[in-house]
Amino acid sequence: MRMQDMPFRRKLMTIILTTTAVVMALMSGAFVTYEVVTIRKSLARQMQTLGEMLAANSTAALAFQNQDDATEILSALSADKHVISAALYDKSGHVFARYPAAVTDASLPAAPGETGYVFNQGRLTSFSPVIQAKSDRLGTLYLAYDSGAIVSEWMRASLGIGAVVLAIVLAFAYLLSRHLQQQISHPILALADMARDISTRRDYSVRAPELGKDEVGTLTTAFNEMLTQLQDLTRSLEEKVAKRTAELEAANVELRRSEAEVNNLFESLPGLYVVLTPDLVIKAASDAYLRATNVSREAIVGRRIFDVFPDNPADSDATGETNVGASLEKVLRTGETNVMAIQRYDIRGTDGTYRERYWSPVNSPVLDAERKVRYIIHRVEEVTDFVLRKAEKGAAGEELRIKMENIEAEIYRSSQQVQAANRQLEAANRELEAFSYSVSHDLRAPLRHVDGFAAMLAKHVGSSLDERGKHLLGTISSASKKMGRLIDDLLSFSRTGRTEMKIGPVDQDAVVASVIAEGQFDTAEKKIAWKIARLPAIRADAAMMRQVWANLIQNAVKYSGKNDAPFVEIGCQPGPEREVAFFVKDNGVGFDMKYVDKLFGVFQRLHSSNEFEGTGIGLANIRRIVARHGGQTWAEGVLGQGATFFFSLPPTLVDGQAPRTT
Amino acid sequence: MPHNPQAPHGALHSILLVEDNPNDVELSLSALKEARLANEIIVANDGEQALDYLYRKGKHAGRTTPNPAVILLDLKMPKVDGHEVLRQIRLDPYLRLIPVVILTSSREEKDLYSSYDKGANAYVVKPVDFEEFITAISKLGVFWAVLNEPPPGRGPS
Repeated sequence: MRMQDMPFRRKLMTIILTTTAVVMALMSGAFVTYEVVTIRKSLARQMQTLGEMLAANSTAALAFQNQDDATEILSALSADKHVISAALYDKSGHVFARYPAAVTDASLPAAPGETGYVFNQGRLTSFSPVIQAKSDRLGTLYLAYDSGAIVSEWMRASLGIGAVVLAIVLAFAYLLSRHLQQQISHPILALADMARDISTRRDYSVRAPELGKDEVGTLTTAFNEMLTQLQDLTRSLEEKVAKRTAELEAANVELRRSEAEVNNLFESLPGLYVVLTPDLVIKAASDAYLRATNVSREAIVGRRIFDVFPDNPADSDATGETNVGASLEKVLRTGETNVMAIQRYDIRGTDGTYRERYWSPVNSPVLDAERKVRYIIHRVEEVTDFVLRKAEKGAAGEELRIKMENIEAEIYRSSQQVQAANRQLEAANRELEAFSYSVSHDLRAPLRHVDGFAAMLAKHVGSSLDERGKHLLGTISSASKKMGRLIDDLLSFSRTGRTEMKIGPVDQDAVVASVIAEGQFDTAEKKIAWKIARLPAIRADAAMMRQVWANLIQNAVKYSGKNDAPFVEIGCQPGPEREVAFFVKDNGVGFDMKYVDKLFGVFQRLHSSNEFEGTGIGLANIRRIVARHGGQTWAEGVLGQGATFFFSLPPTLVDGQAPRTT
Repeated sequence: MPHNPQAPHGALHSILLVEDNPNDVELSLSALKEARLANEIIVANDGEQALDYLYRKGKHAGRTTPNPAVILLDLKMPKVDGHEVLRQIRLDPYLRLIPVVILTSSREEKDLYSSYDKGANAYVVKPVDFEEFITAISKLGVFWAVLNEPPPGRGPS
């Protein structure tokens, strides 16, 4: 285990014991070194004394050359087992006597050395002079001592003692530190335990006991202060949460109450209302609706409307589901209210049999912020009584009422007819579309062939063709080209009627300016003096409105081009019925007002194509486009003096008040 | 005299004309002749024949000539129509890069949209006027068979 990860208590203990052991080891080292030095010194002194003593005793033996005496004297050394060897050298340096007797000359120094002692390889050797009468040197005494053995014997003894002492000291140190470290570790450990407790139990009310005024004491005080702050903070937070929760709770209650109130209001509406999701699932229904259709709220909410109210299976002509479905689909698609004609839609009575019932439904969308349909409000009015009670005979005074009801019944029948006609019209429109497609492809092909083969024939017969022949072929060619243009125009006219309108803002000033800028006028037409008023912005189909302005302006340019001072004016003025009328006025060839009705007809022309080019589709297109926007077209003219063409748009499509023309 | 240079890689790519109406075929061939192109003109009378030629099936099995430089494709045809031919060409890894020019009488928006949507390279409405028709076809031929660099590596040829 790494030191950092040890428990605090063990860490302290390890520190104390390691310190103690290191101190003890250092002290022992110093002690041993000192002792060894002392022992060696005393050994040397001891041996010097012994040497001097033996040398003094050997004087006589050497002086009288008595070898036996000398050997005798040396043998006394056997009393000390640490003496390895000894020798007595005579004056001339030869060994005179030796100890022990068995020692060889080789293990003794060959000649006596200098007086003194030497430690060498665990041995202490010394040479002492043998002197008679203080000056007459008779020889030298050699002694060899096993000092290593002495030192190691001492070491063995003291190491044993040292180990015992160290053990005792460490034991004491352990016991003592165990007691002392508690002084430090106890408060810290207590603090740590409490911190752990607080973090797991989240109880900020506990406080650490303050055990002293040291650093741990300061830490404990700071910790307690922090706890107090934390406790205050938590309490204020909890209070805030509680307050907010209470507010939310109250708001929820209020919301539920107002929701219930709105629900109640909706359900109590006197009319027949159903709220549908975009999947046509019933979301809510008014009480009146439930009564009128003999169902309970629980039985219909959450189900698809046509699952709840299927068509009468006994009535094979039933169209209720188809018509209502189509209307709802239209609301989903367009996001606009759809008012339906009176529908027969049979409803099961309480006994489960279908009853003949008539309704007048209106479907309105509820849009969200992104203008997507979020709900559809399906409102119906029951008109069964009124439809079924046809011309019943009544009292004389009721004649007027009966007449009224007859008229109303007639309106209902007409509305049914209109509906049927509408369906036929839609079918016819689809057929027309297929027809125009086929016209565009199948009729143009043979025309192309007529012109193509006529041209190839002209080329083939070449110069052999006389003038009459050339004229005939030329007529074939120009007639087929003319028919090609007529078909193209007819197609564009048909497209004007079929194309879906994309209503958006249109900047008419910009449209007029770009039509004039992009117009390819010839030199005569370029002399035109323009007078263009500011036009209000409108909401319309931009591409279609461009076509209207382009046609009107091109016409004005074309028909005024032959005037010496051509003049074209563009402007707007309030129309007779609050609508705004726009106009293009020229000083061209004009027209006779008795032909005014023909102007806007398809392929109707007041001039020959030799005079002015064109097929006569432009004004017909304009009338169609303007009519599709809910407006009117008309014209005023004087033969030879010019013409003015007007178109109006309903005020709902025009921004602001139309400014007066200047 | 053919005046156009050799197509890249030495082989002169053909023009594939897919047209069911024999009159239109005659007019188109006459127009292309007018343009004096050296490229061989292959005529397919409907979509099926066109696909047979491109896939080397039926009477075109074993065709060794390279894929055409351009396909002039009519839309309204019996059996397999032009939309379907275009769709199949664009799905095929070996054919999908061949330029396809729609050549039709229809100016309908849905045909235009569908053709470009399926990957047509150009859309030309056949003019009724024969002079314009000749000009249009010969311009098309010169542009696609001579001026335009065909895409590289048209699959196995």
